[in-house]
Amino acid sequence: MHADSILRVQDVQKAFGGIQAVDRCTLAVFPKSITGLIGPNGAGKSTLFNIVAGLYRPDGGEIWFNGARIDGLPPYEIVRLGLTKTWQIPHELRNLTVLENVVLAAKENSGEQLLNLFVRPRRVQRDEKQWRARAREILALTQLDGLANEHAKGLSGGQKKLLELARALMSDPAIVLLDEPVAGVNLTLAANLMDLIERLRQGGRTFFLIEHDMNVVMNRCDRVIVMHQGRKIAEGTPSAVKADPVVIESYLGG
Amino acid sequence: MAIDTGLLTNIGFYVSIAIVFSVLALGFNLQWGYTGLFNAGIAGFFLVGAYVTAIAITPLSQPLIIGGVTVVPGHLGGYSLPFVVGALLAMVASGLTAALIAIPALRLRADYLAIATIAFAEILRIFAINLESTTGGTIGLPLIPPLIQYVPADPFLSAVTFVAIGGAILLALLLVLQFMVESPWGRVLRAIRDDEEATMALGKNAYRYKLQAFALGGAIMGLAGALFAVALLYIEPSGSFAPAVTFSVWVMVIVGGAGNNRGAILGAFLIYGMEWGSVQLKDLAPAQLRDTIFYIRIMIIGVLLILLILFRPEGVLRERKRALR
Repeated sequence: MHADSILRVQDVQKAFGGIQAVDRCTLAVFPKSITGLIGPNGAGKSTLFNIVAGLYRPDGGEIWFNGARIDGLPPYEIVRLGLTKTWQIPHELRNLTVLENVVLAAKENSGEQLLNLFVRPRRVQRDEKQWRARAREILALTQLDGLANEHAKGLSGGQKKLLELARALMSDPAIVLLDEPVAGVNLTLAANLMDLIERLRQGGRTFFLIEHDMNVVMNRCDRVIVMHQGRKIAEGTPSAVKADPVVIESYLGG
Repeated sequence: MAIDTGLLTNIGFYVSIAIVFSVLALGFNLQWGYTGLFNAGIAGFFLVGAYVTAIAITPLSQPLIIGGVTVVPGHLGGYSLPFVVGALLAMVASGLTAALIAIPALRLRADYLAIATIAFAEILRIFAINLESTTGGTIGLPLIPPLIQYVPADPFLSAVTFVAIGGAILLALLLVLQFMVESPWGRVLRAIRDDEEATMALGKNAYRYKLQAFALGGAIMGLAGALFAVALLYIEPSGSFAPAVTFSVWVMVIVGGAGNNRGAILGAFLIYGMEWGSVQLKDLAPAQLRDTIFYIRIMIIGVLLILLILFRPEGVLRERKRALR
C-alpha cells in the first residue's frame, strides 16, 4: 500500500442482513487525482462511499484520511477534517433556498452556535456576510447564481446535481467523493461540470467519483478502480483497466 | 364605574387563555414546525410548568380534614415566591424534563419520539392525580396568587392585568424566537427538518441541534404552564393537562402555519376562539342545540382541518421564503 495516499481503505467490510455489500475492500486514492470508481450495480460502490463519509459504520477494517483514522467518526466530524461526499440521489434541503443550501455547508459559521447569537452578535453577522459572499462565488462557479433565491425543491434533476457539488465545495474539502455527478445531467452541462472538476483538481483538490458514463471515466480520470461483489478487482489507468480481461468479463461486457 | 364589564371580563378571559395557548404553540412550533420533532406530550411539559409555578408562588396550604374525611389534602409549597421566580423555575424544570426525555428518545426514529412523549405526559398526569402530598391530587392546587391582588377583588381589572402582562411576555417571546429561528442556528434546524442525514453530511451535529430545540421548546411550554397557573389561579390534573391539550396545540400550529411563529399565535387565537365562542353561543342557541353545541364545534374543527389540509396544507400563514442578500 502506498504511503502517500490521501485516502486509504483497508479491509473494510459491511453486511446488510445476509448481503455482504462490501467484502474486505482495500483501495487508495492519491492526492490531486481524479480517481474513478466503477463496477456493476450492487458492487458496493455507494455503500463504500457512505462508509467512508461516516454515514454507515463498517463491520471491520480501517479507513485513513490524511494520516488520521476516520472509521467510526460521525459524518459531521469527517466533513470538518476535509472529506465531503455528494449523494447519488440529490439530498437537497427542499424548503431552503439554493443560497441557503450552500451557505449551510460552511464549516465554521459562528452564528450556528446558539450562544454566539447572544454573546457575539457582531462576529455572527460578520461570519454570515462573509459566507454568503463565498456561497455566491461558488454558485457562479456552478452556474446556479440565477437561482440563488429559489427553493431547492424547484430545481431540475441536473441542477440538483450542481447544487450537490456547490455544497461540497462550500466546505472547502481536500477530497470530494462524488456519487454519479453527471448522471441525469445534459451533455453540455456535464462537460462543463467535468471541466470545473478538472480546474479544481489543478487547484489542489482530490476527486474520487463513482460514474457509469464511460466517456467521463475514460477521458477525465487519471486512475480507475473497479469493484465487483464488494471487492476491488482491478485498478490502473483508464486504458489499462479497459483492456483488463477480468474487468471486461464482470462489468464492461465482451 | 358604571360600565358593564361582564362581557369585557369574558373577552379578557378568552384573550388570557389564548395567550397561554399561543405560548404552547410557539414551543411546539420550535420543535416541530422548525426542527421536525413531533412532540406528542405537550400537555406534560405544560403540566410541569404549571405545578412548579403553583408550588413556588402559593402560600402554605394545610390539609383540611372534616370528620375523618380528607377534603383538601394540602400539598407541597408555601414558598410564596414572586411570579417571575416561579416562571423561571417552571422554564428550567420543563426544559430539563424535555432534555432528559430527548437524550434517549431523539436517538429513535421520529414516530418513537411521539410514542415516548405521549406516554411520558400521561405518566406525569397520573402522578399529579395520585401524588397528593406534592400536587394535592385530584383536588389540585387552589389559592394561587394572581399577578396583582386587587382589593376588593375585581375580575375585570384582573383580566386586564393578565392580558397586559401575558401579552407583553408573549410579544417578547415572539421577538426572541424570531431572532433565533431566522439566524444561522435556525437555518440548521430547518435543514434537519428537511433532511437530517444530509445535514449531518454537511458537517452539522444534528443530535445536538435537536436536543437544543426540544429542550427550548419544553422550556417555552413550561412558561405557558406558569402563565396558565396565574390566569386560572387554580390547577387540577384531570382536564387541563389531558392529551386533548396536546391535540389542540397540534391543530393550532397546523392551522396557523407550521414554521411561522405569527401563524402559530394566529392558530391559537382561532382554535381557542372556537372553543370559547361555542361556550358563549350556548346561551343564545335554541334549546334543542344547547347540549350538542360543544360537539358541533368539534365537528366543525374537524371539517375545517380536513379542508385546510386539502386546499392549504401550509396553514393560514405559510412559512416564508428566505431571500438572502
